Amino acid sequence: MSALLSCTDLTMRFGGLTALDKLNLDVAKGDVLGLVGPNGSGKTTFFNVVTGIYRPSAGTVVFDGQDVTSRTAQEIYRLGIARTFQRSRLCLDLTVFDNVMIGNHKNLDMGIVHNLLARGRFRAECKRNLERVKTLLHGLNPALVKRVGQPVSMLSMIDRRRVEVCRALVSDPVLLFLDEPSAGMTHDETKRLMDEILVLSDGGKNFTVVLIEHEMEVIRRVTNRCVVLNFGRKLCEGDYETVTADPFVKEAYLGTELD
Amino acid sequence: MRHNSSRDLVIPGPAGCALMALALLAWCILFLKAEEQIPILVYMISGCLLVLVAALSDLHKSISATIASNEAAWDGCMIGVMLLLMITFRDDHYTLLLLGTIMAYATAVLGLNVQLGFTGVINFSAASFFGIGCYTAAILGTAGWPSLLCLVMGGVMAALVGCLLLAPVLRTSGHYAALVTMAFALLFRVFLEVSDLLGGPQGVAVPPMQMFGVDFSQAMQLWGSECSFYLRYDIALLILLSLSFAFVRRLERSWIGLSMDAVRSDETASACFGINIAKWKIVAFTLGNLLSGLSGALYGMMLAYISPANYAFADSLIFLSILLLGGIGNSWGVILATVFVVVVPEKFQVIQEYRYLLYAALVLFMIIYRPMGLLPRKVRNYGRLA
Ligand SMILES: Nc1ncnc2c1ncn2[C@@H]1O[C@H](COP(=O)(O)OP(=O)(O)OP(=O)(O)O)[C@@H](O)[C@H]1O
Ligand SMILES: [Mg+2]
Repeated sequence: MSALLSCTDLTMRFGGLTALDKLNLDVAKGDVLGLVGPNGSGKTTFFNVVTGIYRPSAGTVVFDGQDVTSRTAQEIYRLGIARTFQRSRLCLDLTVFDNVMIGNHKNLDMGIVHNLLARGRFRAECKRNLERVKTLLHGLNPALVKRVGQPVSMLSMIDRRRVEVCRALVSDPVLLFLDEPSAGMTHDETKRLMDEILVLSDGGKNFTVVLIEHEMEVIRRVTNRCVVLNFGRKLCEGDYETVTADPFVKEAYLGTELD
Repeated sequence: MRHNSSRDLVIPGPAGCALMALALLAWCILFLKAEEQIPILVYMISGCLLVLVAALSDLHKSISATIASNEAAWDGCMIGVMLLLMITFRDDHYTLLLLGTIMAYATAVLGLNVQLGFTGVINFSAASFFGIGCYTAAILGTAGWPSLLCLVMGGVMAALVGCLLLAPVLRTSGHYAALVTMAFALLFRVFLEVSDLLGGPQGVAVPPMQMFGVDFSQAMQLWGSECSFYLRYDIALLILLSLSFAFVRRLERSWIGLSMDAVRSDETASACFGINIAKWKIVAFTLGNLLSGLSGALYGMMLAYISPANYAFADSLIFLSILLLGGIGNSWGVILATVFVVVVPEKFQVIQEYRYLLYAALVLFMIIYRPMGLLPRKVRNYGRLA
């Protein structure tokens, strides 16, 4: 099966620090891939390089058959990769709807006439989007639907996470990157959020997911394959059992948690 | 959202707007008519107390709810208040010039609002772009260009000169934009003073507006009585301000305004969702300068004579302080703060000399105690979607 995303010898250096070291990583269509590894092992950097925030020092990224190595973040988003951020990057003073619409930028009509003069048509477009956002929010937390017009700063942490997920989902991405969506949540909240995302992805039928997650239990439940990073290198990969059986993994990362 | 009618004073719809507008009009007339310092002080303090009471009680909620749900009526009422003020003071040069100054400055600060308030592009040279409008009107007008074209060119020139500053404005890290626009403001003034073509330190005359065969510098007849020639300019400035206001408000309530907000809040996130950061910064900077230039050109014609002293760095700081005072991002806040900043030093001669000190103190006070400004920006409202 040909890979949806395929990275070859991907290297990212920050000065003397090598955050990604000749990483070879494939994501197949329909995968829910777990990306794990200790702090500072380069997981977020991998997202940042693939989504075009950083240009890799070496190596190539091929997405959907196209070489996207030196594309800008904007172009990569338009090709269908959307993401959430480890540290929340919502605009706190904007409403839930506004924040989600930022994620739908590629589907919005930015024409001057449409935006400034043809207000009737603009409002119709706005209304369609509002319905869509409400549907998405309903899938994640029905209580959020009523709060669609409130500033994000009024929401709890977990609801903000949901809004971020919504913002990544609204543009119907082909590939979804989730960077520790559970950060700051309890076990139960994490499970609920992941279940909600899985329902929306319909087991990879709607979109492919790469998930960075420290909670091994979540990884076990939701992913079909994992990649373990350490010092920017791939330590091992395979399904949950294979990965957790690996002695290097046990020693480098999971040992204490599995005991 | 739901109102507790037993506690809130509900002012009904458009009638409520008209009522508030009438009260505002009455207060404005009393205040502007007053000439002695004591009555001025009394009106000022009573006005401030009234605002304070509204702010501290629930009154301000019902007022803003009434305004929000009757927007068109409120807009009409405000234009009406302005027109009635002009008619009331139709033969009073001084007051009409004051009203004109308010409207010209407010238009320029609306431009600054698009730049800094929406997009987060800092501009310490708004007064310079205002001045470019004035000087363009002077030069082209003297060369015999039609007035309307001079006006448009005033805006276009300001926007074009602004392009010189684009490179630093687009730099994301550091304070390049702030420093370079400051340097530009200082240089612009020096340039005006040494340029013979632009009249040097003495300045130049600006030919009056001529439109539909009407010379704006001639006195005007209204109901058989003679009015100040400023009246025509005030009407023109009111039209410009209303159009600019409508434009900026629609901009805010569109995907364009949303993209600008996104650029201001978080460039990394914006880039990851396909928003072209450079494009929106350029659009905002250019639009803002265009508005400054347009209002400058019209205001220059109204003044009839302009000199470099009006376009100093300090004036740019005044524009910025109006925005900070009014509430960054809020167009009504811009209008309110412009009125305050322009009128107070004019009415209290004692303050005249110390006005920069007053503004500085006021801005500091706001930043510390009310960083969102007098009228904090509301969440975006795309219009009726139901
Ligand atoms: N912009 C940057 N400049 C310099 N160093 C960076 C930069 N971004 C990341 N790094 C470094 O790269 C290494 C990998 O960081 P990264 O954020 O990818 O780790 P991570 O696996 O996501 O860790 P965590 O689990 O803590 O989120 C770290 O040592 C980090 O300090
Ligand atoms: Mg990380």
